[in-house]
Amino acid sequence: MIATIRSEWIKLRTVRSNVTTAIVATVISLAISLLSVTFMGESNIDSGTLPGLIVGWGPVAVLLIGVIGVLCITQEYSQGTIRLTLVATPSRLRVYLAKAVVVATVGAALTGAIVLLGNVVGSAIIDARDVPALDSNPDATPAFLAMILMGTVVAMLGMAIGALTRNPPSAITILVLWPLLVEGIVGGLISLALDDDVARWMPFQSGLISLSLELPEDGFGRWGSLGYFAAWVLFVSLIAERSLKRRDA
Amino acid sequence: MITVEGLTKKYGSTVAVDDLSFTVEPGVVTGFLGPNGSGKSTTMRCMIGLDRAQSGRALFDGKPYSSLRLPLHEVGTLLDAGNAHASRTARNHLRWVATSNGMPVKRVDEVLEIVGLQQVAKKRVGQFSLGMKQRLGIASVLLGDPRVVILDEPANGLDPEGIRWIREMLRHLATRGRAVLVSSHLLSEMALIADSLVVIGKGRLIEQCTVDQFISRHAKKWVVVRSPQLGTLVDLARAKGMQVVTNENTAEVHGVESAVVGELAAGNGIVLHELSTQTGSLEDAFLEATAMSVEYHGRSEAPE
Repeated sequence: MIATIRSEWIKLRTVRSNVTTAIVATVISLAISLLSVTFMGESNIDSGTLPGLIVGWGPVAVLLIGVIGVLCITQEYSQGTIRLTLVATPSRLRVYLAKAVVVATVGAALTGAIVLLGNVVGSAIIDARDVPALDSNPDATPAFLAMILMGTVVAMLGMAIGALTRNPPSAITILVLWPLLVEGIVGGLISLALDDDVARWMPFQSGLISLSLELPEDGFGRWGSLGYFAAWVLFVSLIAERSLKRRDA
Repeated sequence: MITVEGLTKKYGSTVAVDDLSFTVEPGVVTGFLGPNGSGKSTTMRCMIGLDRAQSGRALFDGKPYSSLRLPLHEVGTLLDAGNAHASRTARNHLRWVATSNGMPVKRVDEVLEIVGLQQVAKKRVGQFSLGMKQRLGIASVLLGDPRVVILDEPANGLDPEGIRWIREMLRHLATRGRAVLVSSHLLSEMALIADSLVVIGKGRLIEQCTVDQFISRHAKKWVVVRSPQLGTLVDLARAKGMQVVTNENTAEVHGVESAVVGELAAGNGIVLHELSTQTGSLEDAFLEATAMSVEYHGRSEAPE
């Protein structure tokens, strides 16, 4: 298993487009947060500003990390290396798990880097500006932790979708349209029909709720929302692993 | 050694491989022959578990591929030299393959040298020619120094020098006691590379035998004669019911031994300048044997 994980790690980091995607995911969300604290009005900055910006741009970072999950498996199909992978490691469960470990770790590491750099550099920028000393925000740490976990879970979701479609464009489309469009439409229609807000039952929306500093009153709470989304991702992953096992490579 | 037993693979209602059984012995190169679309690649994919066969199995020294813990040490496979990510370097490509089976990076550099790619080890595979990719594919086969080697059309698209290189590599592996299974539709190549043949058509086994046996069993034989009195001889032969084809200054007599033609000439005082037996090539034997099984008969008399 260790050998398979090491092999998957070499695969992920030796393709330039994967590295580029990782850098873009990190830099974009960091840059927006840091530019905002640099240029926003000093009177508007309070203890929730920096954490709010970091987790506020979290969904963008997390979706881009999901793209890495998609690429790590679909590029095996587009380049034909999946055959060599399965020839070298005939246990498809082991291949799936090794890939999942690698993309989950990368997802956590990248979101972790965003949180860490965002806080260190962001605080330095705020300190350098003419802002009175800020208290620490009690909701910041759990929200940051939720963001790191979301990086992990969405990376695995991207990989599961990639394993099902085997095709980069369609997997990325599904990954992006799911939270942006599908859940909005489905949730909206159900809400209209039931005269009740069902956003918290929408898996991706639920996951993203866990990134908020201030949680909605009637939800599952931070860890409940995240756990609900993670349960969906686990479900999709099980289907994906089954598909990898059953279909001809 | 490889044992394939009753392998059957269907795609919907199409039977790609039909109850196929054969063996590949160590120490010899076994050629896997069949027209295009006869199921050679499908058979190989089923053997190593990439495609699921509906029934039957392939055993490598008695074990199915899926039960091998570090398969690259036991079976080396090259299905398609294009199965390498275009933006990885040759060395990085071999590194992940080697690492997956617990081999050190040192081994990667060794095989790069064996196949003569050490100069371009840090170039991206996307910039490689087909011949270089084929060498990279062979390098990944050699990584684990396996006892069994399976290659699908390794000579495909190679220049004569590349083909000679592959041929020598396979010969060398067989000499060292490896069991080598190599498919090809370059039949003249097969005659030079392979000792033994597994011939299939429409997914079914047509014959497993040595190359010589195959040719003598299936290839046409005829007698070529050259004579200043060719016209007389041809008339005599035809009068005896022999089938004769005349060329400019030779004639081909079919269906008889050269002795019969020689005696006919001697009995009638005809001078012969040439009397020889010609045997059809492996291509002819192959076409003969698979003629019944070529899927789209009218479209391709000869597999390309």
